[in-house]
Amino acid sequence: MRDHLVFYLNGARLEVRGPAVGRTLTDFLRYGDAPSTQPLTGTKVACAEGDCGACTVLVGRPDPATRRLVYQAIDACIAFVYQMDGAHVLTVESLAVDRQLSDVQQAMVDCHGSQCGFCTPGFVMALHGLRANQPSSGLSEEELRVGLSGNLCRCTGYAQILEAAHSIESCAAEPLDDRYDAAQIATDLAARCRESVHVNAGPSAESNGKPQTTTAPVEAFVPATLQELIAARAARPDARLVAGATDLGVQHNHGKIAPQSVIVMSRVPELNRLDVDEHELVIGAAVTWRQIEQATADALPEYSRLLSRFGSPQVRHAGTLGGNLANASPIADSIPLHMVAESTLRIAGPDGSREVPIEDFYLGYKELDLHADEVLESVTTPLPGPEVQLTLHKVSKRRDMDISTVTAAFWLDMQGQTIREARVALGGVGPVVVRARRAEAALQGQRLSLDAMRRAGRAARDEVAPISDVRGSAAYRLQLVENLFVKCLHDLSEASEPASRTA
Amino acid sequence: MPAVGQPLPHESAEGHVTGGARYIDDLPRLAGELSVAFVGAPVASGRIKSIKTAAARTAPGVACVITAADLAGPNHFGPIISDEPFLAEGEVFYLGQPVVVIGAETPEAAAHAKKLVKIECEELKPVLTIDQAIAARSFIGPERRMTSLLAEDDQAYAAAFREAAHVVEGRFHSNGQEQFYFETQAALAAPGESGAMHVTSSTQNPTETQAVVAESLGLGFHQVVCECPRMGGAFGGKETQSALTAIMAALVAHHTGRPARVVLPRDDDMNITGKRHRYQTDYRVACDADGRLVAAEMHFYSNGGAFADLSTSVMERSMLHADNAYHIPHMRIVGKVCRTNLPPNTAFRGFGGPQAIAVIENALQQLAERSGIDAWDLRRRNLYRDGDPDRQLTQYRQIVREHVLEEIFDQLDSDSDYRARREEIKQFNTGSRTHVKGLAVTAVKFGISFTTKFLNQANALVNVYTDGTVQVSTGGTEMGQGLNTKIKQLVADEFGLDPSRVRVMSSSTEKSNNASPTAASAGADLNGAAALDACHRIKRRMKDYAAGLLGSAERGLTPAPEHIRLEDGLVYDNREAGRANAIDFGKFCAMARRERVDLGARGFFATPGVDYNRETGRGNPFYYYTTGAAVAEVTIDRFTGELTHDRTDMLMDVGRMINPGIDRGQVIGAYIQGVGWVTNEDLRYDDSGRLLSTGPTTYKIPNVTDLPRTLNVAFIDNPKQSCNIRRSKAVGEPPLMLGIAVWAAARDALASLAAGRPFDLAIPASGEELLMRITELAAPHDAGRPQPAAAP
Repeated sequence: MRDHLVFYLNGARLEVRGPAVGRTLTDFLRYGDAPSTQPLTGTKVACAEGDCGACTVLVGRPDPATRRLVYQAIDACIAFVYQMDGAHVLTVESLAVDRQLSDVQQAMVDCHGSQCGFCTPGFVMALHGLRANQPSSGLSEEELRVGLSGNLCRCTGYAQILEAAHSIESCAAEPLDDRYDAAQIATDLAARCRESVHVNAGPSAESNGKPQTTTAPVEAFVPATLQELIAARAARPDARLVAGATDLGVQHNHGKIAPQSVIVMSRVPELNRLDVDEHELVIGAAVTWRQIEQATADALPEYSRLLSRFGSPQVRHAGTLGGNLANASPIADSIPLHMVAESTLRIAGPDGSREVPIEDFYLGYKELDLHADEVLESVTTPLPGPEVQLTLHKVSKRRDMDISTVTAAFWLDMQGQTIREARVALGGVGPVVVRARRAEAALQGQRLSLDAMRRAGRAARDEVAPISDVRGSAAYRLQLVENLFVKCLHDLSEASEPASRTA
Repeated sequence: MPAVGQPLPHESAEGHVTGGARYIDDLPRLAGELSVAFVGAPVASGRIKSIKTAAARTAPGVACVITAADLAGPNHFGPIISDEPFLAEGEVFYLGQPVVVIGAETPEAAAHAKKLVKIECEELKPVLTIDQAIAARSFIGPERRMTSLLAEDDQAYAAAFREAAHVVEGRFHSNGQEQFYFETQAALAAPGESGAMHVTSSTQNPTETQAVVAESLGLGFHQVVCECPRMGGAFGGKETQSALTAIMAALVAHHTGRPARVVLPRDDDMNITGKRHRYQTDYRVACDADGRLVAAEMHFYSNGGAFADLSTSVMERSMLHADNAYHIPHMRIVGKVCRTNLPPNTAFRGFGGPQAIAVIENALQQLAERSGIDAWDLRRRNLYRDGDPDRQLTQYRQIVREHVLEEIFDQLDSDSDYRARREEIKQFNTGSRTHVKGLAVTAVKFGISFTTKFLNQANALVNVYTDGTVQVSTGGTEMGQGLNTKIKQLVADEFGLDPSRVRVMSSSTEKSNNASPTAASAGADLNGAAALDACHRIKRRMKDYAAGLLGSAERGLTPAPEHIRLEDGLVYDNREAGRANAIDFGKFCAMARRERVDLGARGFFATPGVDYNRETGRGNPFYYYTTGAAVAEVTIDRFTGELTHDRTDMLMDVGRMINPGIDRGQVIGAYIQGVGWVTNEDLRYDDSGRLLSTGPTTYKIPNVTDLPRTLNVAFIDNPKQSCNIRRSKAVGEPPLMLGIAVWAAARDALASLAAGRPFDLAIPASGEELLMRITELAAPHDAGRPQPAAAP
């Protein structure tokens, strides 16, 4: 059991314990918590809620297969130092060597990609992250846009940033690891990632969850096995379970939560499994959205497509399925799919594991069938067969990097043109994501038609009671619920048109 | 090669991309520095019964707790009407209005102390909306009126409406807009000797900051220096409202004798600072059978918030832009600013122009829908016409001259392939069951100058050193718009130097006194001209000296300053073939110093010819106009109201560009900001006056994926233009108003569903607004369906 964190920052090995462990990564960088580092103020904070990307840094973790570091962009403002154990963190300061700008930096200069400059380091890092993982064919316009959709800019209108990105797309990406002894770092980190960590052992957990008034060091566990995770959970029922921290970071920065002890789940193998066969999809609770998006591209393309609009690229690199399900927001983008697919959750506790159908998992607004000594381990999702027509919908004010106003999933088990069984889940219309039973009943046994979908839409409208809030009025949400049934029909007929042509 | 006209990178671009460019929070911590926090009013309107600070004062790590009682001078400020207290006293007028300022050793200690302060208020019913303010007769400043020459005659005015072929009327709503500069309001105050104060502030207005800090501390202006190295964006939001944070930091520094820094958290910033004004306009606009506009009447009401700030000036600009690019013979305009219990609304790029231009562009869309005349042709027919005595006079009696509005429309017509696309869209809309498309053109004619005459001045300081390098300081501030890059290019060319030998220094009241805010798009016009004036003064002395140095009786050259050239880093007499005897500029400067030639100068510029009487609503408020037009195409999902911006073609006359790379960035950036205003940027408040959209999670500025697939930006040559520095034109604000084209395209799309029925569409045309209007338009075809409530 290691009693300190180990990670690399711009090539330098750091061992961290004490108050720095619980700081956000941006505070750690900018205000120089680590005694061995100078303040790194190139990483900016503009929103402190992971919604603008100005704080984008790259986090490299050893890939067990290739034994190389794989870098991904994350929002440092909602990440914590304790999550960096076993990683190589790259900030904007790492890029220029001897005042020689990197290719991305030079392109941004030449193409007028910066105006006020405050968002610019974030864009530079995001672009480096995209290029580090780009296919040999380069990045398409669409991939570039989606890849940069986690970074906001208020000055440029983006056009010159995209021009900068395009100006270097034909050139091979500069390997980020040229700047360091990457092989040595990867080897060291791979070994560290097999270790369990317990930092700042000791502080009482009594005031856990309440805003801190002093800077008591945060106690952090990073268990390496499921047994250790369960044991740590049992020993510290007040500890906060952390995976991606993409929601915890926001709550923390708003002064709502300041846990004094945390248990990081990201290292446990059982929570990282990701298995797909032709019948089902098993996803560990700590698998990130980016991994799921990639793994479902063929097996469940509708889900993969929806996930390209989940959070932002930075959030998808950090956030996990377990976090989204256990956070239990009624507008969580992932829940409707799992509701209509009737996924089963595997929950691990001191007495072994149990399984819960997802619909039974949600007891009320942010209330779960999950005991204080349990953790969500994995989710098993039956895949739709060839008879099933599936559409997933997310309506948000802005297309990308936005929280849903209304979500919906339609799972229509067809027998020819007749709906054998309909499953409809709706989010953003009440305290939890719900199955629209009356609408389902209205569709059962009907021919799939405009008329049937209209009637079902009206039925659904009557069985939900949305509220008005900053994302939309209740009237708007009701109209959306009604309309999405018809939209689903059009989406399905659009999708089937090319198929019918080939047939 | 001259630097002017070249697309040189932004002078801070390397700093931007490496993270080396410093903003307020990046400046190294000073010894003994305190962290500043404030406690705001708990209600939007109320009388303060008590302010309990004792617990906060004794909390660990707290250095000072300051209330209005601790202020040394009068407790009020304001750029036009001095009605805003530094710290609330007696009454509170908006939620979060600063009441108590805390200085503490750490941000955590400050945050803890904040919670210990208790402000007890007797809550009063707040006035929040324009309708509530009108009912309560709660206004700021006098009602303003503007009447065109032909509308002065009551009968002629009435007849114009009566005899018109088509009249549209209604009430138009446009919501506010948050500036959303990336660097929030921030300031660092450091006390100096004998009570002096140095404030480093993220501000567009160092002079005003200097003044309010001095007044709040009871100091002479000469005791305070305000410096602004750069801003991480401003967009008008730091023209006046940067004062609050500067005062907070200065108060703490003054009371403790220690440096103090404040950087507002995003939600505090959005909660307490003013935004673009929400407008409500009652309008009537008429045209003849050919679509010629004959008369317009507009009653503008803006939501000014709790204090005057710049609201009356913003309203003035609205009234001056009610015509936009169109000649309207009979015009009567009334403008009133409503006083409400919201944070004081303020400058935002466009400064009242967008709200007014949206009204006339909406009316033109409606007239096109009503008359059957294509909306493009209707607009083209009504443009101001250069040199035509019947079509060049504005409602305020300024002649619109030297413009190419008609040329812009004609070139854009073919560049954008408007006619063919109009047909395609018609066919698409006939065929599609799921989506509806729209296409529209809108124009902009934006008046350049502060409408307050005295602000149209600038000064600059130019220092030439003996190695031939140059420092320039102006009162202009750099917020990303590239002002310093343009100044650098202008000055480099004056001395014939490579731009790398010119450095633009941070703006400081120590070097530029009594400066105007960097605003009204006029930063480069005013400060560039002042810098050139300083260069000319130095060059006169240089040339006099060089004439003697390079003149030679032997070679038949009588000393002649008019033959001295400063080019390519050399000083030479142009009568000598092959630049013989040319002297390196640096060596020349060293020689000049030894001969006691003054190599520094202060320059000054005052815009000629601007004069406007706001009492009568007449005069020449503008030096010239920047013009342009844009064609936008959108696709709307009929089931969700989601809007996709497919394509935009823009054509602008921004004169001869000093830096085409920077100007192009300004045009696109402003345009997309305008698109944000008319689509998804949606400020929402609850009934208590609390802002609900307080960060990027809930307030959605445009994302890169919202950029249209096709964005063509072009510039038109204007050979007629005779004025302004290097015959350039201001570019910062005007393109923002072209964002209205996207809104007009959305309206056009809905019109194809309306089948001639009248309908309203507000700004922003968010998914919700669009879906609710689509639902209303669909209702009669589908009787029995529940009617959705109107959007708030």
